[in-house]
Amino acid sequence: MTNPRRSRRRLALAIVVVFAVVGIFAVRLVDIQLVRADQLTADSLGKRAVKTPTYAARGAIVDTNGVVLADSVNRFDLTVSPANIALIDAAGFLRRAKDGTTSRVTVMQAATEIANLTKQDPATIFSSLTKNPTSNYAMVSKSVDLATKRAIEKLKIPGTIFKLHPRRTYPNGAVAGNLTGFMSTDGPGGGLELGDDKSCLGSTSGSTTYEQGADGVQIPGSEVINTASKPGGTLKLSIDSDLQWFALQAIAEQGTAIGAQSATAIVLRIKDFHLMAVADWPPVDPNNVDGSDLANYGSHAFTAQYEPGSVFKAMSAAMLIDTGIGSPAMQAVVPSHWVTPEGSTVNDATPHPEQHLTLTGVLQNSSNVGISKLGSQVPEKTRLDYMKKFGLGQATAVGFPGEATGLINKLPWDNQTHYNVLYGQGVSATALQVAQIFATLGNGGVRLPTTLVESCTKADGTVTGVPSATGTRVVSERTAKTVVNMLESVVQAGELSQAVKIPGYRVAGKSGTAEVASNGGYTGDRVVSFAGIAPAEDPQYVVVVTYTKPATIKSSAAAAPTFKKIMSQVLTKYRVPPSTSPSTYPATTW
Amino acid sequence: MSTTLAIDLPDFLPAEHDSHPRHIEIVSTRSQKRARPRVIYALVAVAGLFVILMGQLVLSIWLSDGAYQISGLQQTQRDLSRDQQALGESLNVLQSPQNLAGQASALGMVMNTGSQGFLSLSGGVTRAPTAATADTTVAADAAIYTPNALITPDISALGAAAAAAAAAVGTGAPAASTGAGSVASTPGAPAQTVLPSPITH
Repeated sequence: MTNPRRSRRRLALAIVVVFAVVGIFAVRLVDIQLVRADQLTADSLGKRAVKTPTYAARGAIVDTNGVVLADSVNRFDLTVSPANIALIDAAGFLRRAKDGTTSRVTVMQAATEIANLTKQDPATIFSSLTKNPTSNYAMVSKSVDLATKRAIEKLKIPGTIFKLHPRRTYPNGAVAGNLTGFMSTDGPGGGLELGDDKSCLGSTSGSTTYEQGADGVQIPGSEVINTASKPGGTLKLSIDSDLQWFALQAIAEQGTAIGAQSATAIVLRIKDFHLMAVADWPPVDPNNVDGSDLANYGSHAFTAQYEPGSVFKAMSAAMLIDTGIGSPAMQAVVPSHWVTPEGSTVNDATPHPEQHLTLTGVLQNSSNVGISKLGSQVPEKTRLDYMKKFGLGQATAVGFPGEATGLINKLPWDNQTHYNVLYGQGVSATALQVAQIFATLGNGGVRLPTTLVESCTKADGTVTGVPSATGTRVVSERTAKTVVNMLESVVQAGELSQAVKIPGYRVAGKSGTAEVASNGGYTGDRVVSFAGIAPAEDPQYVVVVTYTKPATIKSSAAAAPTFKKIMSQVLTKYRVPPSTSPSTYPATTW
Repeated sequence: MSTTLAIDLPDFLPAEHDSHPRHIEIVSTRSQKRARPRVIYALVAVAGLFVILMGQLVLSIWLSDGAYQISGLQQTQRDLSRDQQALGESLNVLQSPQNLAGQASALGMVMNTGSQGFLSLSGGVTRAPTAATADTTVAADAAIYTPNALITPDISALGAAAAAAAAAVGTGAPAASTGAGSVASTPGAPAQTVLPSPITH
């Protein structure tokens, strides 16, 4: 017989039990979802999800035509798990060939097979496979390329794992090794690899998380990119690698022949002050840095400051003409030895009878006495201002790592420096600065920022690092044209004209045989150079060649043939039309 | 037949003494039958549910299969791009000036900075090519001057092999360049400054 009260009590009891169970579940839920959530999530991720770093490639360095000078390539490190190797018994592991036949391969055999492919010693490989039977990791071979990796994979040796390890390669070797620098195990070692590392070339690594099943196999589609990796940008230089190679070959040939300690060659395009070639000898091959002397690393054209010598006479003549104090026909009586009013002495390179030379003749004969007599008429302060405007005493716009600024003595100059500076002694500059001076004269007196790096194209396509094109007016256009015209006399009828004349073209240039200073005096060593502009009637290219401390030919006669070779190559390569008018220049004597 | 009046049932019902009890069947009325839900609808609903669930299962199997396919294709793409990079790397080394000049000179080619000539529009030669001299070339056996550690002996041997093949064919030494027989190229000797103009009527 149903009793309403008893059934109501049973109903109430059931509801209470239901609520109690729900309560227990709710408490458990809160405990798991809220209280212990983080710890449990971390535990589960550790068991299921794997976080790996992703690497992106370092940016490449290319020349003005896109030829790759430095690049990152895939290489693989071969690692093994010695614990797996230890499981292989003495008879060897089973290898199934493509045609179905099986064979037993012992560990020693496997080591020999690997050694044949990677050109290592089989005994070394065997020991790294078996030395620590309990460890899970041992390095067998570093930096094998893709073909070798595939061949080793075909061997199906158990326990071998390849890890991707990018490496820097320089396909053109020593051609631009002085400029690019190199990558060492500690990171960039000098040159543009170091200088533009943060702003362009460097890549940032990211990380992704993927989930793996119980057997460790990655579940496809389960990747979550935590942070994306960013590859480095491409650094584009203004260098033409073929011309750079030619220049390097030329100075290497001659430098070896005359026993020079080092040499540089610079080719500068006047229109936009782009460096087409900056060659340094002895060269450095970044693929094999250990093969070169530490002293040769880097670019001496940028970093070595020296007293340039007579090439500065062109600048002194420009100062004279621009101030109006002098002119190409300005006259001087030139002995080979002169005692100045202040008591210092100036000597010409070779003794000669007293000559009547104009300013043009002083340049043609490269007379120290002549330029001292005439150039000293320009006040010291004015000369210093001009030198600064020409870019001396300060780094060029290139900003190469370790670039030297050169040294100009503070005013007032002592009695000897007062005259020495006019012919490039008592002041130091780099070969780059000498090229800058001549390019300014060729560019109608306007100095533009010298450019080595044209641009940096980042991975997302943005282009940065394009240098400015605003120039500085140094001397008037008329002065510059006049000086270049006067310098034609050096090439046409100067001492070195036979070695330097280029058939079909009007060339202007200036030689320099500078004494090397040491311990307050001058030694018997020389830095010989030749700087020139062609074509003279419409200047387009500047070539500067220097040899430091030659052993046999200690005059600029050593640099002249190299200048002719490089300038001929420049004029041919860039299809410069020959000059249509004969070379004429102001009178050299009076 | 129903009435709203309460019916007072007796305490007990008289026993039935019929030897043949009447067989009574309760059947639903027509309206009741019409109101009853049809079996077919239920069957359709359940079948539909079943189909949807099966469809979901098949789709998810298909998707995961696709995911494995994608993963396989990505692996292939990665392998191919690695191949491309390795080939590009070899190409860059073969293109290096040291290799090109070395192989060219092994074939017997001679560098000449004066090899270019210029003609003026009026027909004269403004600059004639000059013969190759020591002045106009640089040593092309580059290894000693501009080393490149990436040019292995088997790469530079390619040039020697090509030279041997060319010699076997019998091409012979390259002909000497034309020499100075042509117009002397001094600056400022234009053949004619006046361009020939067409004759019109």
